Amino acid sequence: MLRRQMPALESALVRLLGDRRVLTSPDALLAWECDGFTVHKSRPRAVVLPESTAEVQAVVRMLGAAQVPFVPRGAGTCLSGGPTAGGNAVVIDLSRMRRVLQIETADLFAVVEPGVVNADLTAAVKHLGLHYAPDPSSQTVCTIGGNFAENSGGPHCFKYGMTQDHVLGALVVLPDGSLARLGSPAGSRLPGSPDLTALFCGSEGTFGIATEITVRLCRDQESVRTLLGSFATMTAACRTVSDVVAAGLVPAALEILDQATIRAVEASVYRAGYPADAAAVLLVELDGPVAVLAEEAAEVRAAFARNGALRVEEATDPAERKRLWKGRKGAFGAMGRLNTDLYVLDGVVPRTRLEEALAGIAAIGSKHGVLLTNVFHAGDGNLHPNISYDGRDAEATARTIAAGTEILRLCVDLGGSISGEHGIGTEKLDHVRLMYDDADLAVMAKVRAVWNPDDRCNPGKALPSRSACAESAKWPAMTARILRDEGSA
Amino acid sequence: MNGAGAAKSFVADDVAAVATFLRERPGQVRVRSGGSRQGRLPTATDATVLDLSRLSTIVRLDAADQTCTVECGVPRAALDDALRAHGLELPCPGGGTVGGLFASDPIGASTFGGPSPRSLLLGMDAVLADGTPFKSGARVVKSVAGFDVHKLLVGSEGRLFVATRLHLRCKPLPRHVQWFCRTGLEPAAAIACVRGLQQEPVPPAAVQVLRLGDGSCTVQGRIAGRLAYVAHVLRSHDLPPGEPSWCDHVQAPAVGEVVVGAAVLGALPGLWRATPTGTPFLWHGGGRFEVAANAPAASDALLVACRDAGVHALVVHGDAARRGRSTPLDDGHHRIQAGLRQALDPHGILV
Repeated sequence: MLRRQMPALESALVRLLGDRRVLTSPDALLAWECDGFTVHKSRPRAVVLPESTAEVQAVVRMLGAAQVPFVPRGAGTCLSGGPTAGGNAVVIDLSRMRRVLQIETADLFAVVEPGVVNADLTAAVKHLGLHYAPDPSSQTVCTIGGNFAENSGGPHCFKYGMTQDHVLGALVVLPDGSLARLGSPAGSRLPGSPDLTALFCGSEGTFGIATEITVRLCRDQESVRTLLGSFATMTAACRTVSDVVAAGLVPAALEILDQATIRAVEASVYRAGYPADAAAVLLVELDGPVAVLAEEAAEVRAAFARNGALRVEEATDPAERKRLWKGRKGAFGAMGRLNTDLYVLDGVVPRTRLEEALAGIAAIGSKHGVLLTNVFHAGDGNLHPNISYDGRDAEATARTIAAGTEILRLCVDLGGSISGEHGIGTEKLDHVRLMYDDADLAVMAKVRAVWNPDDRCNPGKALPSRSACAESAKWPAMTARILRDEGSA
Repeated sequence: MNGAGAAKSFVADDVAAVATFLRERPGQVRVRSGGSRQGRLPTATDATVLDLSRLSTIVRLDAADQTCTVECGVPRAALDDALRAHGLELPCPGGGTVGGLFASDPIGASTFGGPSPRSLLLGMDAVLADGTPFKSGARVVKSVAGFDVHKLLVGSEGRLFVATRLHLRCKPLPRHVQWFCRTGLEPAAAIACVRGLQQEPVPPAAVQVLRLGDGSCTVQGRIAGRLAYVAHVLRSHDLPPGEPSWCDHVQAPAVGEVVVGAAVLGALPGLWRATPTGTPFLWHGGGRFEVAANAPAASDALLVACRDAGVHALVVHGDAARRGRSTPLDDGHHRIQAGLRQALDPHGILV
């Protein structure tokens, strides 16, 4: 029935947006068949490219009349399959809605459209001595709308917080095509009004489509100091992190790369001069007033020394700072050298259990015979174990999935979470039950049904056991089978 | 004082008792922990008060991870003492019990003045109005697994579910803290003073502006950080050190009303013009403001000014018939909010 409706629906969408903003040919749809989670691929039925809130509303209403599901999408840099559409769904691509609508320098907020690229917002306010703080690794490409939907993090969220901590309000097109204005530039709400903006943030595009987003702007810091310590053991690097935090310091970033990552980076175009013989490097970035940073940098150096750092480097100018960050920012790209595919995990553990978690992850990697590397936000306990594998090899893919599932289970067993910043998407649908029981999930489902009662808005994402289409269900079915097998073992 | 005007109350001795009590279908229920803000809630004379003040255990304090889990009836001061012993703090202002602080969100989540309750709430254990326990969020400082139902607690005034335990993020105690209090300012000078502080790369950890009955303004707050930096900020903004005189709320007038709303600093001059001189007006850096209006007409004039400025405001204290009078609500927002109430508490138990 849906197929029969397609020509009429397509015609109507073309009448609304023009034929250059409605894509339906298989070749044209190729670019939308997956996000950064390339394990799960599924070509959508069509892609539309609206340029205004009114157009988004009109598209959503049109799709509602035809009972066709839809999937909002920004730059498609998500790493969990969140914006990957099933074959009967239409992708509403918001990348053409990229205007910065308002910048308030006195009251420190901006209103942007969802397709504004994260780094472009900072570029737009840089001359005013301001910046937008959340900085996912993909910030030169990813959009504020996608960040809002996923509650994205980044290296600097140890000090500055996640996207949720920087979003004050939003104009949202609900799945029935009506509008809701959440929050306000003042952030605060009327007494008795729950925080709908915070709830919407991280709902993975299942509550509606934000078409205007009000975000906080932060003053640039007077000074930045970036230090890199290299260590003979991962334990020493982790203990340095603990020492820095225990000293009451709040660095802007605390990032660790393990030896396998260092070697991949140093062999790649992202080469940063990291010592290839080190078991780990720890990148510490401090920001604040000049006088304060001198004291703090001395304390970080002392922590490095106490834990036997092999070498300590400090950036003395912006070019040096860029070099020290180059390896970290390019780490995921560098892993392209290791194999054809990369599965980026995103578990969280309490920071004090990092050593235990990393030992467990190494053991899991050995058990399944997979190539594991680790790059992580050490200050937050947010691990990114990366498994490099050949996706054309079904057996290798199965081992990769099994290892990933065990790693996430380990994170939960250590008191943590299955995702720190990448979201559930389709990737972790069945892992959600590692953290939540039926009662918890029932409450979340009730909350979603208030926004999205007929589940047409990004169906089959974020929560298990909903009406995922066959294509979307393929990956979760694999993980579900592994979880089942583990349970019966 | 329970504030609900209710005759009946149930004191929960532990978390399980909350679920048991709600499963027994007690009719309408008003949630109360410390009770300090009950006078600002709508009256609920037929409700049974569910008193959570005995849920006062700090369940877990993991100093190294800088997180803790507390029951909702833990007094803020008790948590502060416990955290201080480990070199930590909950870095947002606000008193009463911890549960009451998060449920009322008295400061707001705006652009200025330190972390807000929203940012510090990592997860919770809670009970639906029908007695079903559930949890949301996590105990670690980052988690995006599942929907953040726990964030609905912030500002909900206990009318969506009953939170029993909260997982919170703490921060290291600053090396140095100095409260400041600059009094006797003309309104324009007060705005300029706060604007100046906003230019600092590390803004005050808390700030508020209080316009007093005589029309003069006080700017007060807390600067935290290294001694040299704190001294620099105090000196460069001409801020005299002062004893902490922080107030979460304006004092409700014996006759009159309290209007509460949310506004950025830039909206204050317009709102001040709409309130008669002599009307106490408190603004938090987090965006929340409170006005002690001496008559309904003054509240109404302020609500009109708020509406015209695109500012949300609501009468929270005064004659029962006028409580809840507000600027127009966005239809979509109202629909979602009402839908959440219907979904989580379909029988309207929590009032």
